[in-house]
Amino acid sequence: MWREWVGQSERQWNAFLNQTMASDQYGQSLGRFMELYVTMQKGMSEAMGRTLTALNLPTRTDILALGDRLAAIEERLATIETRLERLAGAEAGDGSAAAVSRPPRTKRPATA
Amino acid sequence: MTASTPAGDVSIEARVRSEVERALLRNVKGLEYLSTGDPAMGLTPKDAIYSRGTLKLYHYRPLADEVYRVPVLLVMSLVSKAYILDLTPGQSFVEFLLTQGYDVYMIDWGVPRPEDRRLRLEDYTLDFIPDCARRVLADSGEPDLSMIGYCMGGMLAVIYAALHAGGPLKNLACFTTPVNYDGMTLFRRWTDRRYFDVDRIVDTLGNVPPELIYASFEALRPAARAASQIRLWDNMWNDDFVRSYRMFDRWAADQVPFPGECFRQTTKELLWENRLYRNELVLAGRRVELARITVPFLHVMAEHDHIVPYESAKDLLAMVGSADKRDLVLKGGHVSLVAGPHASRRLWPQLDGWLSERSV
Repeated sequence: MWREWVGQSERQWNAFLNQTMASDQYGQSLGRFMELYVTMQKGMSEAMGRTLTALNLPTRTDILALGDRLAAIEERLATIETRLERLAGAEAGDGSAAAVSRPPRTKRPATA
Repeated sequence: MTASTPAGDVSIEARVRSEVERALLRNVKGLEYLSTGDPAMGLTPKDAIYSRGTLKLYHYRPLADEVYRVPVLLVMSLVSKAYILDLTPGQSFVEFLLTQGYDVYMIDWGVPRPEDRRLRLEDYTLDFIPDCARRVLADSGEPDLSMIGYCMGGMLAVIYAALHAGGPLKNLACFTTPVNYDGMTLFRRWTDRRYFDVDRIVDTLGNVPPELIYASFEALRPAARAASQIRLWDNMWNDDFVRSYRMFDRWAADQVPFPGECFRQTTKELLWENRLYRNELVLAGRRVELARITVPFLHVMAEHDHIVPYESAKDLLAMVGSADKRDLVLKGGHVSLVAGPHASRRLWPQLDGWLSERSV
């Protein structure tokens, strides 16, 4: 019986809290919380950036910029790789799938 | 026990004994629970046949002696880890597909890095998915493929299908896929444009941190955490229950960051303006019209889905232009539909029955 009570309580609490959380006031509060969260993150990031710069160390912005450049290089490599594969496939007659031993593709559904 | 003892007393004695045994086991198993790690998941053998950034395209090693002609590509959501589809031997959707004779591939988006904050829906649907589809065809040697998308992965799959109506997609199946964001009431209220400054959030944070994603999902059912811990304690004597709890609890907490620009786009164009539903979503100058999808289509929704409510998913079938299409509502929640202990009796056979006929 108490197990049923737990399930029922859970449903009732979820319904009640969802109703509260769907209200305009809750949306406003959530918006304010996010604003505060973002402001704190920004403040901490800027303070840390100033500290790291003073110590002549790379900041998060510097690392992100490096990451962007690496990602761009990765993309260009991926493009080159794709073009080479296409060329290799065209030359070889694209028999890549046959090279590895795999089960035959002959299965039919049980109702067939 | 004598012949004159009422049958009810036997039942009560047995029940009391059972409860005492369980109470003792709870203490023993409770200590075990605290001292052991989570079960290993995602163990079905696979090979990474392609990687690009954090994306990995996996090919699962066949488990059947013969397979269906048409390969299957699984497309995961951007906001959760892929191993939900391959939880553990005996409770793995991937393993099920393999034993039923499908040739299975999966796109695992990986964990977004800070530089991935620039990724948009266009990148996923006009670049990554087509690229992976092409590689699946090259690897399998087949001219077409089936795609199965789960949750937001289903949304990416239908957008891809609409923008590539000429092929090579042969069949499309979606699980718990949202299309009408007016139906996602709570998410819409929490991202109300009057109070939710998505530009400031993305411009400051870049990728949305996984803690915020996790908190938003937990907030959909605020009482669930407490109730589930009560149930866990009550069932601590039951190894199967505890194992299942640990797997799902670990996966639910194992969130990933949401690429910033994609989050901005999802908030503004889907949650605020519902453009996909209104056929007004434009990606790289191309309008996404789901009516252009004409391949056989299946959409399965969960009866008790608190993340993608029925109101947000039910219109997908009508929007798709296929002649051969159907949708189903099955018992279960958003996650248990696909990966829960009952999935093997509910969703998986339904999917197999539908897909097998269309995979030759």
